[in-house]
Amino acid sequence: MNSWLTGSMLIVLPAGVPWALAAVCALLDGRRVWVGRVAAVGVGASFVSLVLLGWRVLSTGPVEVVAGGWPAGVGIVLRADVLGVTFAAVSVGVILVSLLYEVSAGVRSRTFPALVLFMTAGLSGLFLTGDIFNFYVFFEVSMTAAYVLTGYREQDYQVRAAFIFAIVNLFGSVVFLIAVASLYHLTGSLEMQTVAARASAVNPNSLITIAAAIFVAFCLKLGLFPFHLWLPAVYVGSHPPVAAILAGALANIGSYGLLRFGGEILPEELELGTAAVLVLGSASIIYGGLQAVSRRNTDEVLAYSTIGQAGYILLALGVGGTIGFSAAVIYAVVNSLNKTLLFLAASLRGPLVGAAFAVGAFSVVGVPPAVGFIGKIAAFKAGLAAGGTVQVVALIAVIFAGSALSFIYMFQLYQRVFLADKPGDPWQSKNTSSRRPRALVVLLAALVLAMGLWPEPLIVLSEEAATALTGSPSGGSP
Amino acid sequence: MTLAFSLAVAVVFGSGAFLVLQRDLMRVVVGIILISNSASLFIVAAGLTQGPVPILPVPGGDGASVSDPLVQAMALTAIIITSSVTALLLSVVYRLYVSHDSVDLTDISEAEVREAEFLERDTYPEEEVEPHEEPGQEEIEERSR
Repeated sequence: MNSWLTGSMLIVLPAGVPWALAAVCALLDGRRVWVGRVAAVGVGASFVSLVLLGWRVLSTGPVEVVAGGWPAGVGIVLRADVLGVTFAAVSVGVILVSLLYEVSAGVRSRTFPALVLFMTAGLSGLFLTGDIFNFYVFFEVSMTAAYVLTGYREQDYQVRAAFIFAIVNLFGSVVFLIAVASLYHLTGSLEMQTVAARASAVNPNSLITIAAAIFVAFCLKLGLFPFHLWLPAVYVGSHPPVAAILAGALANIGSYGLLRFGGEILPEELELGTAAVLVLGSASIIYGGLQAVSRRNTDEVLAYSTIGQAGYILLALGVGGTIGFSAAVIYAVVNSLNKTLLFLAASLRGPLVGAAFAVGAFSVVGVPPAVGFIGKIAAFKAGLAAGGTVQVVALIAVIFAGSALSFIYMFQLYQRVFLADKPGDPWQSKNTSSRRPRALVVLLAALVLAMGLWPEPLIVLSEEAATALTGSPSGGSP
Repeated sequence: MTLAFSLAVAVVFGSGAFLVLQRDLMRVVVGIILISNSASLFIVAAGLTQGPVPILPVPGGDGASVSDPLVQAMALTAIIITSSVTALLLSVVYRLYVSHDSVDLTDISEAEVREAEFLERDTYPEEEVEPHEEPGQEEIEERSR
């Protein structure tokens, strides 16, 4: 590696490059193709630097930089460990694919490239920070970009969806901000590791309110069962690439936040709340599955499927320990890829698109060649690791029921979108979509298959990430 | 002091929550502003020390207690974020007002349903009206044009 490409450079690039480009693109007309391409180059640069950073983190351990050259404990800490880099790389990759898709189909709003760049900057900053308040700031940057993106095409229902989305998620942000302030008051620090160390000395009972506030805030982002009410409205209104970004990249904030705050900073409180976490996760899986089966609109089915899939992440989190956390990481990554593929493929027509959609459907269901199988295995393993026979049986039953439901709704959907022949329905028009978006979708499907056929990298990555959270290879008990 | 702060936060948050539940979109926005500001109040209340302004030279020499500067920095950041998001929300409400001539959620959803039915009748004369599926189809309308 070149000498100038040090760890401290690499950790700034993923957020810095898109941020600078976003400021430039905001002044340009995003409908021009070259502006979209510049934005894609920016997101691509962010992705490449994340991959390089990930390589470094895997080979030499976490990279830590104190911003502005301040002494440690004064300046804001940027910190890249395996968990953060994995989530950042997946999210930025998803954004890159969606941006390329939209650019090749023709951008229709002048702000789109700039907004996508801002969201890339916000997300990579959020995953690579070691400071809880900085986390909140980056979180707001990416959320604000998402609010505007939801209203992308400026149809009335989209604008209304953006309004609902903004109000509900602002509420979540406020709850999170209050939790951050309370953590600061209790521990006297904003640096994640110091907070974690000092919080472990406090009686869990006094921290449980803060933990609950953080839990609620991230469940709102993730769209889990009792906090999901905004989600269908937003996804149904959204343009496919925007829906792909929301489901594939933005939802990662929720899973990452739950893992980071639950697994690393407040592990004892997570243990205390295991029952609640498991019950909510199961409820989410069943509710999402049932609702998805009953819906006919493609976007709605996929939206409810997102709610159901988020439940698995929560289940794995509730089981805890290295097995549970690594299952949560695998599931979050797999879910991002699946949802991106499905949202993008469902709006296209032409050769191979149906096959790509089928790959995504198989992946959601968890049929072997697709990567979803790895996710399901990890979920089952986590279920088996839960303490107590009753718990194990209940968890396995829930996971199995969820998979069965997802099998029904995914293939109902496949049938309706690609097989049914309804004369006069424009969805069924024989016009094939242009080649580039289709090539992207097929590539994504190939990636989903390839990761399923050669799952070692993903499994190793998730185990490393879980180890980084729990601090020991054997991990804590559930 | 803590009691005063917690009372203030509770009252501001409570009024905000009440306003968010209204059907008038302007009230919803004002409610969110109040809720966000209650968070800023909470941050200030979470400060670890109290005392004079934390600017050098500190009255009373080194080591004297000053008010916690970190919470003030955090509150400032939160206020900036709130104000920009408020601007965004207001522009969204204005956009809805321009197209519907109303900022009441009941009116807006009624207008949307009407519009959906109208489009539905226009596109598929024989088919059953299903406002639920409208977004997708409206989009195609536009795409196929």
